[in-house]
Amino acid sequence: MTALPARPSLGALRRWLGGSFAPYVFIAPFFLLFVAFGLFPLLYALALSFTDWRGVRAPELIGFSNYIFLLTDQAFWESLGNSLYLWLLIVPVQTLFAVLVASLLARPFLRFRWFFRTAYLISYLVPLVAIAQVWKVLFDQDFGALNFALQAAGLSAIGWLTTPAWAKPTLALLVFWKSSGFAILIMLAAIQGIPRELYEAAALDGADGRQQFWQITLPLMRRAIAFYAVIATLAVIQMFAEPYVLTQGGPYMSTTTAGYALNQYMKYLDLGTGAANSFLLTLLVVAVSGIMLRLLRARDED
Amino acid sequence: MSHSLTPPKLSRRTLLKLLGYGAAGATLAACAPPATPAPTAAPAAATPVPEGEIVIWDRSGDLFQVFDATIASFNKKYPKITVRHEAVDINAKLATTLAAGVDVPDGTFIEDVNIPTLADYFTDITDWIQPYTQAIVPFKLRVNTVAGRVIGIPFDIDPALLYYRQDLLEQAGVDPAAIATYDDLITAAQTIQAKLGADRKPIHIERAAWAIPLQLEMFANQQGASLVNEKGELQLDGEPYRRALTWVKNVLDSGVGSVQEYFSPGDIQAIDTDQVAFYPWAIWFVYGPENLFKESKGQWRAMPLPAWTAGGARGANMGGSSFAIPKQGKNKNPQLAWLFYEHLMLSPEGYKAVYGPNQIYPGGLSTSLPAYTPAHAEKLFENPKGLGDQNLWEMAVSTVKDIPANYFYAPWYGQAAEIIAANVQRMQDGQVTPDEAIAASAADITTRIINR
Amino acid sequence: MTTRLPTRSETASFPALTGRTLRRLNLESLALYAFLCLLALFYLYPLVWMALSSFKLGPDIASRPLSFDLSAATLDNYRLLLRNVPLQIGFQNTLIVLVFKGALTLFFCPLAGFAFAKFRFRGRDSLFSLVLATMMLPPVVMLIPLLLQMGRLGWVNTYQALILPGAVNAFSIFWMRQQIAEVPDELLDAGRVDGCSPWGLHWHIVLPVIRPALAALAILTFLDIYNDFVWPVVAVNTIRMQTLQVMLSDLYNQINNMQVGAVGANAWGQVLAASTLATLPVLALFVALQRHFIHGILSGSLKG
Repeated sequence: MTALPARPSLGALRRWLGGSFAPYVFIAPFFLLFVAFGLFPLLYALALSFTDWRGVRAPELIGFSNYIFLLTDQAFWESLGNSLYLWLLIVPVQTLFAVLVASLLARPFLRFRWFFRTAYLISYLVPLVAIAQVWKVLFDQDFGALNFALQAAGLSAIGWLTTPAWAKPTLALLVFWKSSGFAILIMLAAIQGIPRELYEAAALDGADGRQQFWQITLPLMRRAIAFYAVIATLAVIQMFAEPYVLTQGGPYMSTTTAGYALNQYMKYLDLGTGAANSFLLTLLVVAVSGIMLRLLRARDED
Repeated sequence: MSHSLTPPKLSRRTLLKLLGYGAAGATLAACAPPATPAPTAAPAAATPVPEGEIVIWDRSGDLFQVFDATIASFNKKYPKITVRHEAVDINAKLATTLAAGVDVPDGTFIEDVNIPTLADYFTDITDWIQPYTQAIVPFKLRVNTVAGRVIGIPFDIDPALLYYRQDLLEQAGVDPAAIATYDDLITAAQTIQAKLGADRKPIHIERAAWAIPLQLEMFANQQGASLVNEKGELQLDGEPYRRALTWVKNVLDSGVGSVQEYFSPGDIQAIDTDQVAFYPWAIWFVYGPENLFKESKGQWRAMPLPAWTAGGARGANMGGSSFAIPKQGKNKNPQLAWLFYEHLMLSPEGYKAVYGPNQIYPGGLSTSLPAYTPAHAEKLFENPKGLGDQNLWEMAVSTVKDIPANYFYAPWYGQAAEIIAANVQRMQDGQVTPDEAIAASAADITTRIINR
Repeated sequence: MTTRLPTRSETASFPALTGRTLRRLNLESLALYAFLCLLALFYLYPLVWMALSSFKLGPDIASRPLSFDLSAATLDNYRLLLRNVPLQIGFQNTLIVLVFKGALTLFFCPLAGFAFAKFRFRGRDSLFSLVLATMMLPPVVMLIPLLLQMGRLGWVNTYQALILPGAVNAFSIFWMRQQIAEVPDELLDAGRVDGCSPWGLHWHIVLPVIRPALAALAILTFLDIYNDFVWPVVAVNTIRMQTLQVMLSDLYNQINNMQVGAVGANAWGQVLAASTLATLPVLALFVALQRHFIHGILSGSLKG
């Protein structure tokens, strides 16, 4: 920041800040709570990431060793690879899907709107553990309903949860099921903020529904889409509970996501490595979401 | 490391008196423990009794309820010790709480695999438990010993047995008594398949990442080995593990293995559709025939494990839990917590209340055995209906003497187990040989975990 | 569908409905409803399975997962569950946390979002980046230090430990900023001309305009708090302070077989019964409030 003004009167300070104290007051609660309950844990974790600490013995400073270990560890990169793969399976499809469903739900003449809305959102509410069990029942290789259907159709059974090739899509479907309601809600809120006059004008120009979707709905939802893409990316990289309850990271670590691997370090009280792993993930997420926001903002300016 | 394991500050004389008192079950004739906060210490009277409050964590659910019901019998003996008993998700909370040192309980339930990882947090109870050590199953005492000091009060042992379907064996004309080795087991499975249909997969092969190492360690324990040797070194690359994994591969290659996750929906379907006839598992498998299986309930029986070589050992342990007394316990009453566990596990009133018929288990707790051998003298739980009223108690107790005591865990055990599980899964899928699975695991564990 | 989207006032009489568009409309709307219904089935099936299975005995859930026999329906799971787990305490604690934490989120997050979206002030972009950055750190790494801090404050087993951390969260601020950025500047300028203070702008202009997003934020905040268990599991050590989800995750851990030698007396039936009990009240609330929400959301658009 530039230097404070020479004569630090209140008025000068206000001018220097941009004309008003109000925005600072408005954002203060977040920062107060952050200083109270976020800063200490953050600095503590940062310090831990440079130590070897697993128990009551004093943490031992080891410099960048944890980082170096992780960056040269094949398992770390594999967990990132798994997360990337899951990201590809989940985020682009789900984002588009949510925009589409939200635009359908926002149609003026839709009957039973409340029913569809509730039905789609409710998945977000159902406890994960119950859903994981449904998945295990449906996707069991030998007795699952899905494979029965496949075999009835003359196809061969698939090891949905037992082969590395299929475990990721099966897990992705669970995540998709669980979080689409959330995505739809975000998109619905955004879509309903679009002024109707825009559609009317487009209609007068002869644009049909599909063209209106591409020319009006989608561009005007850029911010919501950017927001959701960043949130979903964050969630996929940090994902832990879903592989934990469904596959325990298997078969042979093929569903060990970045978040799952990190949790394993914490679970075994290898807190230094766990903290280092967290900060590497954080850097990754910051970089990725920075790029995403920039890309979507660049189009914004067009 | 040893300096962090010194016993709590407590006069040895007081302690021994407390101990003698607990062991003999007589009235205490010593002063109140000095570590008890001064205001609560009883005035110098003829027969002061130990008093104070302890917070005890037990794994929530049935075990918590079982232990909760024993507090009354403890308070009959020690009326002035208040037990605040909390049902806690031990797996989710214990490590975090100990690491943060916040609101730590005075005594806690703990799974044996986690003892070495958390050892530094626990009170050394070597001297307190000394009068009982001769009577504790050696395997279990070993598991509770870290760096030569005992830091846990043994709860249960979990003998492994060969569970089998007596009806299927009879239909196929297989005599269970003739199954003396693991190779015999494959032969028996092939007979069943030949007689009852090629769709039968008679031998359960474990698939779940959490359970693969558990069962593998059971196979190794039976051969007198464990993942870790006495010096804390990895000894995966050896005959016991090679033999066990090769057997698994043989089962699969012969087409007689049902690869499923323990008691998953698929596993239970396989069992209830008569595909599975053999399940080499810890005694706690009995929960299935008792509560989960429908069609095959009552048709299961237990027998000792087959031996790895003709005439070899047929006993092994699989899993288990203990109790530990954290040093940072909020009430600073380690000796009172010790009295609690001493009563619970090492006195007839205690272990009978835990294992015998009670409100939660009208037939008694049949999923494990006490680790304290005097408790084996008298049958504590009833014959399970799921096993057609077989005397499971007697069967399990008969194998206890054969459980090799030579067993060690290491602080890195949990992380190593995950690597092993992944490689065993690869082997089950035919991607690597047993030798390759062992070599890959050993290399990974050594470079990624031990030698970091 | 149609070539023109009607405004609300027009919906009563729709002039463009010629015979041809009507036919197209019918075919298209048939496809639309078929698609929406299929989707609803996809979302509801697991829920229905969960609810129905909670009325089955443990062995039946395990061995006949896909069938349901009404005559064999039983309340045993619920009876056992309510005997073993003080769910009413869980509901009560969850409600307390919901009310206070929810109020903090809904009040302060739009306010901060407004500041970041519509004010130019020194350090805005770096401060906003900081807000975003706090969202990126995996929560699990903060658990132990945060617990340590709660211990120092003597806040273990208190409501404030459950309520305050994360009450004004980056996620909600970020989303509110994205939504408020869409509010036309002209509206705010008009407000300024009318002499509105920054607070007045927020209260009288921004909040009414973003009502759809605010309603959605309320729903999401509600669900997030309701579903949260990672921190609550760590923050309380006694069943008297446990929230509903903590009890549920505990129940699950008792029977998920990942506990060595677990006796597992609480079979699947109880978990499914607890999940059903945890889901149904909220579902009922949603259905009851749906029309209200929709009304609020649809009438919220003042823009343009």
